[in-house]
Amino acid sequence: MSWFSRSSGPRREGGSVQTEVEPQVHKSLALAALFTEIRRARKCQVLDLGSAVGSNVEFLSQFGCKLFIEDLYAALASRTTVGEGDLAGPEFFSEFLALPDDTRFDVVLAWDRLNYLHRKELAAFGELLRRYCRPGAHLFAQIYYHKQIPAQPNRYKIQDEAHLIYERQTAAERPSPRFAPAEVTGLLKGFRVDRSFLLQHGIQEYLLVRE
Amino acid sequence: MVWKRSDDQPSHSPEPSPSSPPRPAAPAPAPAAGASDSQRRTDRATIGPSIFIKGDLSGEEDLIIEGRVEGKVDLKQNNVTIGKNGRVKADIFGRVVIVEGEVDGNVFAREQAILRQSGAIRGNITAPRVVLEDGSRFKGSIDMEPKDADRHGSTQAPQTVQQQREAKQQQGGEAAPAAPRAASA
Repeated sequence: MSWFSRSSGPRREGGSVQTEVEPQVHKSLALAALFTEIRRARKCQVLDLGSAVGSNVEFLSQFGCKLFIEDLYAALASRTTVGEGDLAGPEFFSEFLALPDDTRFDVVLAWDRLNYLHRKELAAFGELLRRYCRPGAHLFAQIYYHKQIPAQPNRYKIQDEAHLIYERQTAAERPSPRFAPAEVTGLLKGFRVDRSFLLQHGIQEYLLVRE
Repeated sequence: MVWKRSDDQPSHSPEPSPSSPPRPAAPAPAPAAGASDSQRRTDRATIGPSIFIKGDLSGEEDLIIEGRVEGKVDLKQNNVTIGKNGRVKADIFGRVVIVEGEVDGNVFAREQAILRQSGAIRGNITAPRVVLEDGSRFKGSIDMEPKDADRHGSTQAPQTVQQQREAKQQQGGEAAPAAPRAASA
């Protein structure tokens, strides 16, 4: 069984040396807004596109959620299905989210993973997310506006409803796609921006809503 | 509904900590006075690293799997441990299920499911308490509803991710509501 790779190295941008970087705690205004929404729901289905983090599972358990964990970056890094050029296409994403067709999410935690998609990939993935989200579902995403981003996505731990612990996996960097606000909604068709917050450390947080 | 912290240890766990992998053979602690050999042997069973079992496993004692199992592991009243060398392609039913090796299938634990740092699960976990240790690998869903673990029983286990994928391929993408869904490579 080789369906898991112990570590998924940087994608396309060449190798980088794993470096210990001190975790940082940052306020998350969008997350706070998201949890306010979650509390209103009776029982919700959550899609976590990050890596499995035990403390997040524990935290989310208080909301009575059914949690789906699908590590998008790990799948991209180990993918075998290749679409146009070197980009992941709709087939890849359909295989990545091989869920029953009646699955409908209320919340999607994309963390910083969208920054690791090319624009065409984001559009294809957004289409799939739209299908798996019920109207009114919330999508939490962080978009960098710096020119450089970590070569691998951060690992996020929910400290409380308004704070996230960022665990950077590598000191290496890669260019950022720098999605503009209009691009985010342009590529994620079927979603609109409910709230967005520009944070001091170079990240724009989005809380998008499935229309 | 309370889930334990990831660094918690099950209070009733018969298994060693991650730093001390389970031994293939049951250790021989000082037997209680009057305890017979057969009683001690029933404490737990071990499937050794060189053993490959294809089929269903059921019984009434705790089980440690260090080998390979394909089929179903049905020990609802007992603890099941997938050791670091264990490779299981099966749905697992147990009271406490601890995974230190690899599981490709669904896990149903009546009390608790624990995915150790060295462990990997591709499938769905249904248990009232779930612990994912940092560094563990998991792909699937987690449902904390305890009634589900009982309701699914041994006959209505949901499809594994692989089974879902195969079913979709057999359907030829007809179920996809909007976007094109070509057969996966």
